Amino acid sequence: MAFAWKAAGLTYNRYLAVSARVVRRSLKEDQRVKAERRGEMELKFARWENGKQGEHKNLAAANAQAMAEHAEKQ
Amino acid sequence: MLSRAARPALRAGSAATIRPATATIPTLQSANYATLREIEGRLKSIKNIQKITKTMKIVASTKLTKAQRAMTESRSYGQTSQTVFNEAETKALEGENKKILLVICSSDKGLCGGVHSGLSRAARRMLNEEGAGNYEIVVIGDKSKAQMSRSNPKDVVLSFNAIGKDVPSFSDAQAIADQICLLPNEYSQVKIMYNQFDNAQSYHPVVIEAYDEEAITQSPNFTAFEIDDEVLANMREYSLANSLYWALAEGHAVEISARRNAMDNATKNAGDMIDKFTILYNRTRQAVITGELVEIITGATASEDM
Repeated sequence: MAFAWKAAGLTYNRYLAVSARVVRRSLKEDQRVKAERRGEMELKFARWENGKQGEHKNLAAANAQAMAEHAEKQ
Repeated sequence: MLSRAARPALRAGSAATIRPATATIPTLQSANYATLREIEGRLKSIKNIQKITKTMKIVASTKLTKAQRAMTESRSYGQTSQTVFNEAETKALEGENKKILLVICSSDKGLCGGVHSGLSRAARRMLNEEGAGNYEIVVIGDKSKAQMSRSNPKDVVLSFNAIGKDVPSFSDAQAIADQICLLPNEYSQVKIMYNQFDNAQSYHPVVIEAYDEEAITQSPNFTAFEIDDEVLANMREYSLANSLYWALAEGHAVEISARRNAMDNATKNAGDMIDKFTILYNRTRQAVITGELVEIITGATASEDM
């Protein structure tokens, strides 16, 4: 059982998030607005090395990038 | 909490104002007027603070119902995914050279009593008891980040912020879980620490555990579930996201209810202070008037004799 999304470097959570977004976007207008608010994510994160905090980065962008790199390795 | 708001003012004027008004009648007229005005100013500022805390309390109260609903809903996410591991009797593998990852779920905002420091304290205690070398730390939220970066900066690997503006969503939890999965090191176990909601007044830090693939495959009743090796990694990631969502939502509800209580207390204390200062203000005003009268009368009697 090979998963197409796995080959594309996505994690299961990312795969779920994408499919959830698709479902939300295909809802009717009034419910779509309400549902899309549940999918919003504006977290920021920073990596730490040797007790020093790194730069603050947008989590969504960083995740997408990490997965693209992951895909290239495979 | 009582005096925090008014502390600078108290420190500046305590020697000059509070005691003289109750014990001795002030001697200098000019000083008298000054203290009267000082008291008036302080009274005004306390009233303003009371207004702010009252508003914050109302805001927290309205948010609380929403947060509690999210918490009960998220519980079913977390508990359902935890059922698998309970039934399979999964236990963390010991003795390997893998570290344990500790995820601390706090938030960015303060003014909610001891929620964040309680969490950091519990984390620190755990690190001290079990040896900090075995742990790496992921911090969610600025408040605990500041506290953990003081005590264990070397062990922190990731920190998240901009959380706690609203009720945490599942996509928040998913994104965090993703980023944790992408960490370079392998961990024997992931411990998620959050504040458990006991009731509106009390909470305590607890830990839920998530396991790595090896631990799951080696658990005694694992075969009963007939999970393929290929989807095992998915299940692990997904259950991590579920547990995180549970922890985030419950931590959020605790924070809001703690903020409501803290603001309630602050409003009450401000009310007490306002009462006290109003009495002090009136007394001082009377003392000033009495002093003036005495002076006028003495002056009049003195000039009558002439």
